[in-house]
Amino acid sequence: MEEKREDGRSATQLRPLSCTRSVLNRAHGSASFSQGETKILAAVYEPKAGTKKNENPEKACIEVIWKPKSGQIGKAEKEYEMILKRTLQNICILNVHPNTTTTIIIQVVNDDGSLLPCAINPACSALVDAGIPLKYLAVLCIGSQQARRTEYEGTGLFMEVGEKIKNGVITSVTHGVMTVSGTRTRRNQAAV
Amino acid sequence: MKAGKLRFAKPNKYWVESSHKRYVPCAGDTVLGIVVDSKADNFLVDIKGPTLAFLPVLAFEGGTRRNIPKFEMGTLLYARVVMANTGMNPELACMDATGKAAEFGPLKDGYMFESTTGLSRMLLKSPPCPLLETLGKKLAFEIAVGLNGRVWVNASSPSIIILVANSIMKSESLSPVQQKIMVDNLLQRVQ
Repeated sequence: MEEKREDGRSATQLRPLSCTRSVLNRAHGSASFSQGETKILAAVYEPKAGTKKNENPEKACIEVIWKPKSGQIGKAEKEYEMILKRTLQNICILNVHPNTTTTIIIQVVNDDGSLLPCAINPACSALVDAGIPLKYLAVLCIGSQQARRTEYEGTGLFMEVGEKIKNGVITSVTHGVMTVSGTRTRRNQAAV
Repeated sequence: MKAGKLRFAKPNKYWVESSHKRYVPCAGDTVLGIVVDSKADNFLVDIKGPTLAFLPVLAFEGGTRRNIPKFEMGTLLYARVVMANTGMNPELACMDATGKAAEFGPLKDGYMFESTTGLSRMLLKSPPCPLLETLGKKLAFEIAVGLNGRVWVNASSPSIIILVANSIMKSESLSPVQQKIMVDNLLQRVQ
């Protein structure tokens, strides 16, 4: 079922991607990622001593700060921060520097839709640029099903270091209504 | 697991070399630290790592309780990392393994700037990198390189210091031949 979207793309076509590393001079790691018109800048600052109150002192803590293009920080930004934080906590090796905080700052430069998937990629590239030890690299995959008008955005494991390519899903964000079997088929399709 | 270039040395040594702005403390490294605070038993020194490092007050050549050195906040020190375990603050010493001073200690005058760890390693290579050789043939200067990404330069006049610092900062991504060409151009412009 090939429906054309507003800008002429088919249902399974992505917008042009581009990624640049080490864009910021003072940050320990930085990356800029753009997908079509959506552009996001990520900066990583090294482990600093001390963790927050509720966090485990045996492990490193990751702090994500999301800066929208304009306007005040509200609930939506907090939600993005939380999702990104959980995803990145699964990728990073947290035992290397216990009792430290790594800060990741996401700045939205231009917003043209699909912000969250677009933000995972520069966050991960900036972590690699800073030299933070990672277990895997996280890439996003987007699926959408035009027929039922639902969109499924997910981030998946792209590569396990030391082993063959094996796909798994770390985080998935769904909007809309789907049956349970629909969710599973979407997930399997995304894993391929 | 860090990203970097795969290096090979005969007969069978492979390793991944990466260059970052962060420093991970490792025992046996020589680093440039800045004194942040002084406690009863040790100085707290910032070495660009995840935590501050401790420099015991007696870790100097001929150090006793009677002649404890007094460092102000902001003093630049050239020290050696004695112990660096995860979870603990690293420990420094201003003397080498045998107890001699060996150029360790506070650095006076001069100019300190930050670089990446890869650039520090390149500056400390032996035989010396072509950048330092070419600069050394024409100019007289003194440098101290810390493996934590800090470099200190001292010379008789500020213009020489600036020239050396700029050429080091620019040479990070250049090959040896390109470094030599760049330094020759800079020197020609000055003299």
